[in-house]
Amino acid sequence: MKKELKFKVNGQPYEIYVKPKTLLVEVLRDHLGLTGTKRGCNSSSCGACTIMLNGMAVKSCSILALQANGTDVLTVEGLAKGNKLHPLQEAFLDHGAFQCGFCTSGMLMSSAALLSENPKPTKQQIKEGIDGNICRCTGYNSVIRALTAVVKGEYKEAK
Amino acid sequence: MIKDFEYFAPKTLKEALTLIDKYQDDCKVICGGQSLLILMRQGLVAPRYLVDIKGISGLSYIKDEKDGLKIGALTTHRAIEKSSVIKKKYPVLVEMETRLASIQTRNWGTIGGNICHGDPAGDPAPVLIALNATLSMAGTKGERNMPVGDFTLDYFEVALEPGELLTEIQVPVPPPRTGTVYTKFNVIESDLATVSVAVSMTLGSGDGVCQDVRIALGAAASVAMRAKKAEAVLKGKKITDALLTEAGEKASAEAEPISDIQASEEYRRELVKVLVKRMGNEALARAKRA
Amino acid sequence: MQIEGKFTMKAPIQEVWDFLLAPGTLASCIPGAEKMEPVDDKTWEGVVKQKVGPITVKLNFTQTITEIDPPKHVKAVGRGADVTKAGTFSQETIVDLKEVAKNEVEVAYRSTVSIVGRLATFGERIMRAKVDKIGKEFTTNLQEKLKSRVGGSK
Repeated sequence: MKKELKFKVNGQPYEIYVKPKTLLVEVLRDHLGLTGTKRGCNSSSCGACTIMLNGMAVKSCSILALQANGTDVLTVEGLAKGNKLHPLQEAFLDHGAFQCGFCTSGMLMSSAALLSENPKPTKQQIKEGIDGNICRCTGYNSVIRALTAVVKGEYKEAK
Repeated sequence: MIKDFEYFAPKTLKEALTLIDKYQDDCKVICGGQSLLILMRQGLVAPRYLVDIKGISGLSYIKDEKDGLKIGALTTHRAIEKSSVIKKKYPVLVEMETRLASIQTRNWGTIGGNICHGDPAGDPAPVLIALNATLSMAGTKGERNMPVGDFTLDYFEVALEPGELLTEIQVPVPPPRTGTVYTKFNVIESDLATVSVAVSMTLGSGDGVCQDVRIALGAAASVAMRAKKAEAVLKGKKITDALLTEAGEKASAEAEPISDIQASEEYRRELVKVLVKRMGNEALARAKRA
Repeated sequence: MQIEGKFTMKAPIQEVWDFLLAPGTLASCIPGAEKMEPVDDKTWEGVVKQKVGPITVKLNFTQTITEIDPPKHVKAVGRGADVTKAGTFSQETIVDLKEVAKNEVEVAYRSTVSIVGRLATFGERIMRAKVDKIGKEFTTNLQEKLKSRVGGSK
């Protein structure tokens, strides 16, 4: 029997009906068509499905959709403002902080969550901030460089 | 491939207890779901009823009281990690939480859920045992308390009866000149422990005779276990390097680790030996500064 | 993983052998076995139930004697598939009897239990220790059964 799920995604309110067994990542991808969030591992280990829920980075594959009732969800689609990319997205592009791109949405969301909690993290704190996101391609250093550049203020926030 | 289930989201403890008392073994309780959903996604656990207690108000709190710390079972790992009062007075808990899984897991998973999952590799249990912590459970028949060390019974089995919920964890104020430390060995940060060790040492007044010591091992037996033979080596003595070495060896022998994909039994024993000595030293140093 | 061991029994070797091979002896030692029934003189079938924490496993289990060299050597092989298709258990047991003195038999056993499937990959951490335990329990059951039916042990 389906239950009601009322929540906001990227500022937009939604009211949908889902089976209780539905995972949050399934709602975002399959019900709302927001396929930026990826399912990487099916074992809650990789972090590719990371989104922000009420300002906290969480793995959307490891949360029942109904638990997001009444919450504010931010996905990678919500980072850019219109045509203006988010500073993190600009920095990732400039520093080659992705190759195949599969971990990237999750990596961006963990980075966004890190900076929203701590706008001036040290290098060690940056590393700790993304240690829940596995990347097979970059070796992480380009991600750390991109984040460091944003922390230094090299990218302006879109208005 | 999660199987369908009937879903309840009670808003009060009383509602939740009524539900789980009604459905007994046919239901599972979910809170953060950071351990349970992994099993459910693989179809290894398929309850007919799922009682979601994440929304219950009043069970997520951190209270610094005269007789100690009170943590609500629904408190997230992240809240404990970021608590300034815990960092000041019980820093080992912050240190443990910082190494628990990843930020995403800590943001949603709860300390109560972790303990009730009964994973011998879980981080909180050995630390809470070293801290001499107790916990409270509520059921329709009332409340009961027990030490954390008595709560874990076997691999993934805890002393919760059907119809009961864990409500609170209590950490007593440590005696003066006590140092408690925790470390875990893992290959990738954010992995579960291959072996973990928590040591709490209390020094007597005077020249550093160890008045009391508690050594708890994680991922080295079917539950988080006290290495009592190792403790006996140190208790009542002035701590020396030789004694700590002996304690490490005793702990290594009394542990009951298994071989698995992470490590062999022999390697786990070696880790216990080394980490018990290392943590013994650090607990001693922290106790001297306390 | 493998368990090995041996113990001695005060009994004639033929008696120990006969009991060992008696219908259902080996099958009834399987921990959690319910309703094991003979299919023919070498094969038994039944249901095995086991529980580890939140995971319950119900297997359709078959055990077959594959090697037999009276009165010294017997090998039995078992396989159980979980009814929800979560995994498969395999078990292999070898028992060797040796007469060490008159009316004294040394029983040497080797038992292997393994598991494949989702229970092994995702449940590995949970099931691994349980599989070890099951292996040990099987051999303990075997020992007790032999000792209680055939005679005292040394």
